[in-house]
Amino acid sequence: MFTKDLIEDLSSNSLEEHIHKKIEEIQKKDKEINSFITLNIEDAQNSSKEIQKKIDKGIQGKLSGLAISIKDNIAVSKLRMTCGSKVLENYIAPYDATIINSIKKEDGIIIGKCNMDEFACGSDGTSSYFGPTKNPRNIDYVPGGSSSGSAASLAAGFTDLSIGSDTGGSIRCPASFCGVYGFKPSYGLVSRYGLSDMAMSLEGPGPFAKDTYGIALLLDIISGKDPRDTVTVESSKSYTKTVENFKDQDIKNLKIAYAKEFFEGVDEKIKNIILDKISKLESEGAKIEEVSLPNIKYAIPIYYLVVFSEFSSAMSKFDGFKYGHYVGGQDIVEAVSNTRETSMGIEVKRRVLLGTFITMEEFRGRWYTKALKARSAIKEDFKRIFNSYDLLIGPTMPTLPWKIGERISDPLSMYSSDILTVSANLAGICASSQPVGEAKGLPVGLQLHADSLCESKLLKGMRAVELACGGI
Amino acid sequence: MQLHEDKYKDLNLKIGLEIHVQLKTEQKIFCECSTDYINSSPNNNICPICTSQPGSKPMGVNEKALENLLKIGLFFGCKAYEKPFYVQRKHYFYPDLPSNYQRTSQPILGDGNFMGVGIWEIHIEEDPGRYELREGKVDLNRCGVPLAEIVTAPDIKSPEYAREFLRDLLLSLEYLGVIRGESGSIRADVNISIMGGNRIEIKNVNSVKGVYKALKYEIVRQKAVLQRGGTITMETRHFDEGSMITKTLRKKETVADYRYIPDPDLVPIYISPEKLQEIESVLPESPHNKKKRFMKEYSLGEEIVDALISDLYLSDFFEESAKKSNPIESGKWCATELKRRLNEKNLSVSTSKITPKHISDMIGFIERGELSVKNAKWIIEDAVDTGEDITSLMDKKNFYQISSEDTLLDIIEKVMGDNPKAVEDYKSGNENALHFLFGKVVNETEGRAEPSKTIKLLKDKLCMVN
Repeated sequence: MFTKDLIEDLSSNSLEEHIHKKIEEIQKKDKEINSFITLNIEDAQNSSKEIQKKIDKGIQGKLSGLAISIKDNIAVSKLRMTCGSKVLENYIAPYDATIINSIKKEDGIIIGKCNMDEFACGSDGTSSYFGPTKNPRNIDYVPGGSSSGSAASLAAGFTDLSIGSDTGGSIRCPASFCGVYGFKPSYGLVSRYGLSDMAMSLEGPGPFAKDTYGIALLLDIISGKDPRDTVTVESSKSYTKTVENFKDQDIKNLKIAYAKEFFEGVDEKIKNIILDKISKLESEGAKIEEVSLPNIKYAIPIYYLVVFSEFSSAMSKFDGFKYGHYVGGQDIVEAVSNTRETSMGIEVKRRVLLGTFITMEEFRGRWYTKALKARSAIKEDFKRIFNSYDLLIGPTMPTLPWKIGERISDPLSMYSSDILTVSANLAGICASSQPVGEAKGLPVGLQLHADSLCESKLLKGMRAVELACGGI
Repeated sequence: MQLHEDKYKDLNLKIGLEIHVQLKTEQKIFCECSTDYINSSPNNNICPICTSQPGSKPMGVNEKALENLLKIGLFFGCKAYEKPFYVQRKHYFYPDLPSNYQRTSQPILGDGNFMGVGIWEIHIEEDPGRYELREGKVDLNRCGVPLAEIVTAPDIKSPEYAREFLRDLLLSLEYLGVIRGESGSIRADVNISIMGGNRIEIKNVNSVKGVYKALKYEIVRQKAVLQRGGTITMETRHFDEGSMITKTLRKKETVADYRYIPDPDLVPIYISPEKLQEIESVLPESPHNKKKRFMKEYSLGEEIVDALISDLYLSDFFEESAKKSNPIESGKWCATELKRRLNEKNLSVSTSKITPKHISDMIGFIERGELSVKNAKWIIEDAVDTGEDITSLMDKKNFYQISSEDTLLDIIEKVMGDNPKAVEDYKSGNENALHFLFGKVVNETEGRAEPSKTIKLLKDKLCMVN
């Protein structure tokens, strides 16, 4: 297992050297990829020296000095947190997110803060104020979003692990487009304290890695109850064991469903690769059956209604007085307008305006309340399936990565690319994406879903797919 | 029941209040910052949560705050709603509100009554910071202090009763020990309509007196508008503490839309029947009921009872001392001398050293003629200060009264011998001479001569000189 071997190598080789190489790679290539907004080089070098001493004494934490990049909407104390926006261009986070605390405790080395779609509003990594992130597999193509820099920094070899956030596919989409492993934990498994808001009832941080083991390793560290996030629950924290103990023949015990709705409108080449993997699993002994999720067709409108509403509330504080770039004006109204006009991108403004409209008193019953009701119908769909199956399998994205700039002017086509990923967020369940092949030289991701707080099942499924694809 | 109602009978006054009080807790409602926002320098009693730093999340609603709010509701006879309640976000822009939304819960209890005024609902919310408009300065220390909002029915029929109601309400909350003592303040939004006309809301009145003044002003203003043939349009007005008048804040057409949404960061809160029972079982008696009971059970006058029940600890103290002494005497001493001394020393019975036993023992000494009423005052002062028991104080101060006739007669004879002129004067009909001689006896005994006996013996003796 790649990540596990890497940790073992680090115990005998120089950690300083390892970190140094990562920094060199970044300095050489990130001008082009643009996966980082803020680098943490000096601090990373110092940490590598400190952790090397611990390794020599055999008292290092579980992460053992692995390099980790962090999406720039997660607070790391004393580092800038921009959320990919001009509004927060100069905002220095005065505190650590709960998961950052945990990562530091286990000797992870934070190498930098990653580029992202502005305030996570985007699906392709091109809406950042700091410029688009490029796909390391082919720099003419988008890396996927919104955790674009997290996936790209990992795919480009700038880091060993990464942390992103997923509101409607923001981890799985770039994982799929860049050809790495991405994991959206169940709502409540990982603390959101320190994750800047997009749509609070849908999102949470999650790991990126080069393999299933790396995902499990980070999950063990970042999951669990946090008094600073009331929606969190206890975690078993035995995910690496689950992955380590998984044997080839355990594939036989998996009951996997696939839904026809998850293949509608999907690129033929992607469809074929995924179906091929499904037959592979079946031939290895997994039980595979077709099911239906009738309410999935409402997922996109419901998702965006919830996102707009919660987002417009969360964005209220960026008025140039409390938070954000102060521009000034003749009176308060003008000053706030100026801040929003000059410091926010078009997609952010679109979402704030739509959200404000939707949550106005006279429209509440028409939009927001109805969306919340429909959301429970989708939850029911998944519940029914997970009563009989361990996993739901399908593609992560309906298309291959598109060329940079291609969809920027058409928000609806951008929104529709989220069709396969938003349901997991609406239902609060866990889901993953992992690379299973290529088409036109671009990576194809396979998506697995498991029931809420059934992370172990999902990791078993990922491991099964990893093994079925010839992984080690 | 309704005070001064007749005065406003023709106006058909309807007054309802939305009352905000700060709940007593150690920590703020959604974080671990202290609620003592006054004693730290501006913007020093804050954290990422109460300043709403990007990425921070509220912790769950402070349990003590919720418990105190439930106490208030149950005390006013409200019922708690069975459904879990959501904390909502109320969006508005103001310099002292870091997130530009205020977290405020759905109604938690409702349908109660206090002093004949319906309590519509009670909910919990977070206090914003403080904004000094003139200096343009913001202090966020207060952000996140828990508030209870109590909404009454428009059952109040006069400004005087509004004042009475608020005073008693505050007294009750202090009684319950659920509100911050030192602030002592109240923030109220006042709703008023006259002659069945439109409702006017007066925002942010900051004292009981302010509520009274605002209402008085509003009645005069609205009457004047009506007399000129105008109509009262629905609007929100602002009360100016300095000039004691109200001014238009906004007309109803531009009514604020707060775009309420349930806060996605907080899970809905369910209050179990067990929890309610537990709280109900420890609720104290309301001041209103206590007053009625004291007057009946102990035959005390209203003035004495009012003084006793104005302080929960004092009223408990009184009841304890009345178990072992004459309640009328005990009530009198507690309400007058004891209270005076405590105020003087800025103490309460719970912080001073005096115990109920001191009062009951002291009354025993007075009743047995061993202690003068005058010296009893000194005893109370000493007991408050030192807590020493009465017997040893009596010894130490040499306060035992002299009531033995033999002893008194000896002294009287000596005084008469020393003051022959006074004796002569008395005999020639000057009554003042008696008082003079009595004073001399008192001095001679350092105040310990039992007065009525002394007077009687002195008179007898003077007559005998004839």
